[in-house]
Amino acid sequence: MTFKLTRRATLQGILATATAFTTMRALPGMAQERGGTLRVGLTYEIDTMNTYSTGFLADAQHAVVEGLLAPDQNARYVPVLAKEVPTIENGGIVLSEDGRRMTITYKLHENVTWHDGAPFTSADVKFTWEAVKDPNFIAESKQGTADIDSIDTPDDYTVVCNYNTVTPTFASTLFTFGIMPKHLLEGEDLNTSSYNETPVGTGPFMVTEFARGQYVVLDRNPNYWRTAENGDELPYLDRLIFRMITDSNTLVTQLRSGELDMVVQTPYSQAAQVANIDGLELIRGPLLSWQHLDFNFENPTLSDRTVRHAIAHAINRETLIRAQGGYPEAIKSLVVPIFELYDPETPEFPYDPERSNQLLDEAGYVRGSDGVREKDGNRLSYNFVVQAGRADDENAQQVIIAQLRAIGIEAQADNKTGVAYREARYNGGFDLIYGRWITSADPVYSNFYGTEGTNNGLNYSNPELDEVFVRLENTLDMDERKAAAAEMQRIIAEDMPAIALTTNTAVIAVTTRLQNFIPNPTNMTNFVDTKEWYLES
Amino acid sequence: MSLGYIVRRLLGAIPLLLGISVILFTIIQLAPGGPLDMYAENPSVSPEALAQIAARYGLDQPPPIQYFMWLSAMLTGDWGYSIRTGRPVLGEIVMRLGPTLQLGGLAMLISLLIAVPLGIVSAARRGSRLDSAVTVISFAGISTPVFWLALLLQLLFSVQLGWLPSAGYQSIGDGSFLDRLRYIAMPAAVLSFATIASWSRFIRSGMVDVLNQDYIRTAYAKGRSERGVVAFHALRNAMIPAVTIIAVDFVTIISGAVITETVFAWPGIGRLFMESMNGRDYPMLMGLMMMGSVGIILANIIADLAYASLDPRIRYG
Repeated sequence: MTFKLTRRATLQGILATATAFTTMRALPGMAQERGGTLRVGLTYEIDTMNTYSTGFLADAQHAVVEGLLAPDQNARYVPVLAKEVPTIENGGIVLSEDGRRMTITYKLHENVTWHDGAPFTSADVKFTWEAVKDPNFIAESKQGTADIDSIDTPDDYTVVCNYNTVTPTFASTLFTFGIMPKHLLEGEDLNTSSYNETPVGTGPFMVTEFARGQYVVLDRNPNYWRTAENGDELPYLDRLIFRMITDSNTLVTQLRSGELDMVVQTPYSQAAQVANIDGLELIRGPLLSWQHLDFNFENPTLSDRTVRHAIAHAINRETLIRAQGGYPEAIKSLVVPIFELYDPETPEFPYDPERSNQLLDEAGYVRGSDGVREKDGNRLSYNFVVQAGRADDENAQQVIIAQLRAIGIEAQADNKTGVAYREARYNGGFDLIYGRWITSADPVYSNFYGTEGTNNGLNYSNPELDEVFVRLENTLDMDERKAAAAEMQRIIAEDMPAIALTTNTAVIAVTTRLQNFIPNPTNMTNFVDTKEWYLES
Repeated sequence: MSLGYIVRRLLGAIPLLLGISVILFTIIQLAPGGPLDMYAENPSVSPEALAQIAARYGLDQPPPIQYFMWLSAMLTGDWGYSIRTGRPVLGEIVMRLGPTLQLGGLAMLISLLIAVPLGIVSAARRGSRLDSAVTVISFAGISTPVFWLALLLQLLFSVQLGWLPSAGYQSIGDGSFLDRLRYIAMPAAVLSFATIASWSRFIRSGMVDVLNQDYIRTAYAKGRSERGVVAFHALRNAMIPAVTIIAVDFVTIISGAVITETVFAWPGIGRLFMESMNGRDYPMLMGLMMMGSVGIILANIIADLAYASLDPRIRYG
């Protein structure tokens, strides 16, 4: 019966999946079973087991290392090592009198021990901040360290972070990635420490072996500090194995031969094959990424809002999705629908090429002999950049080029890779650019479309929007944030620095025996909460 | 064959290696993309963090300076650090060398044991049905794509029959000889298939050449059996062209079983190369390719020395 529920959920997609699992969880008479090994296939070779310096999403790492908070299946933060998520209401966040700084107090759980038995205390939290902040430590994920001026630890289970600013996105960075053990790492060089091979954490699983290029073996932490609601000791699984298999055909073969139980990033091209394997199910989960078409405002015709609106009406998202195997889902706002801040009232510019033609005709863009429109000597002819070599992006580009041609706009592929692509994207080396951003559970949107945004390569500046960003990003009041976010989504949809097109879904192949698994859409991966997973015999 | 000759050949390799390193470095730099590309879609990697990483690996310097930084470190035996893993290049290579040598060595052994007799027999019986059969199989072997053969074997032995693990190096917590044998069987078979095909062709044609020589006829005239003629008079001479191919192929097997290792998730040099290529891990790529170059130069020297020992007419001095 439970299988049917899940299978239906598979078809229904995103939110249905989460709901179905919640229902399943509540079904009585399903005794959780202890023991068993879950074998997971990874599509990449793990570079380091340190969550702060890995260049990949830290799948295996998150079953080992815990943070103070973690995002749940709806991308909302829930407490882990902290007793609650600090808010103004519960007194965890205190604003300074001038409202420009904040102090965040975390109360820590008292019964937590590291894998080696040492107690977990506030000193570890402070140490993590100091270690990640240290300029000698080479790490990708240093966001948030500079926002903190100092950390006080009045007692072993209280951490007081003194911020030099007010930032509602504090949860999406630093302490969520994981806490590092001070007693093992103090004075160590984190770039070369053995911690990068066998990290010691507080999580439900401990690293037994990391064989580079082969596998990571995680064994059950017998002294895990959390128990299930019914009093069961956690975790249920005895062992988690991550095998690194970079060839996607081999990955599917291993699922087929029963050598793997789970693949969290099933390549879209292989998903149809996997769906037919007995004993496996395909679960589609949301992902925090969005595909978008951006405009360069230096271009004289693209800075005309009418042209941007005409382009929006010319794009058929359904065709785009079909060109990418049918897996992405259509969106109208840059805030992915799973986020609390998503506003369903965001204005929509539906596929309507006649409307596009009408808009352009009215604005005086006349078709020339070659069918391309022009006005005042400016032809609607653009160079169009995507990341070269990405089949999905190049397919989407071809679809968009064809759809623009239908309304008298010419676009020419000018694809770039690597540094050249990044340069173009950041410095406006394009007229049109199609790409995606992959974000944390609470992204800072001004980075993308604020006048001073570090990722704004569009030469786009809208003072009205900048004001909204200030409101959105400097308040902790959820109602105020929601109002500001709705305003932001409306302005971005209407003024249209970019068109939000699709969001990706994760295709997770997993044995039907695995229970209590809930896909997590965030960059904290599906393994951020493994403690209650169990295998039905 | 004097010691002096070997020393001179080795000294001659130094300018060659320098030239190779300049070319390799240039090619790597010319390839689109760079080591920091993997952050292209991650907005939370700040420009400051990127600049810090670039500075740590010298990526903020112009390419010629980067080259001399690499060269001067290399001359003191410092191979640098992998950008992808942050670990020493030399250590990573040494770690991957073991599995690759096992796989390459076994494949070599299988290839020799099968290709040499196959080549000899089809030369001695040229035009026979056996010869035609070997020829057909050889061409099939040369033209079969490695990944396709690998996939078929995996489907047969892992999915259908369930006899062998489809990929990997060893079972977790096992690693006994027998366990490893089960893992190495398919990749070694795939890797040797193509080499058997090409080597048996070379040995066959070498043999055919020699068997047409006058001294072979003389040996027959003196009453030696066919087996004696082939084994004692023809084989050594027929091996001379084959030795070149085998020596050079050996280096390719050692440094570049990229596809086989990737398909079978074998933790060797080939897969390390693939991962490093994807991540544009410059120091690692330089280390790997220089090692490959040294291997090819050494293999050539060894092949030349082998000529001299096979053919008394060849003398180096």
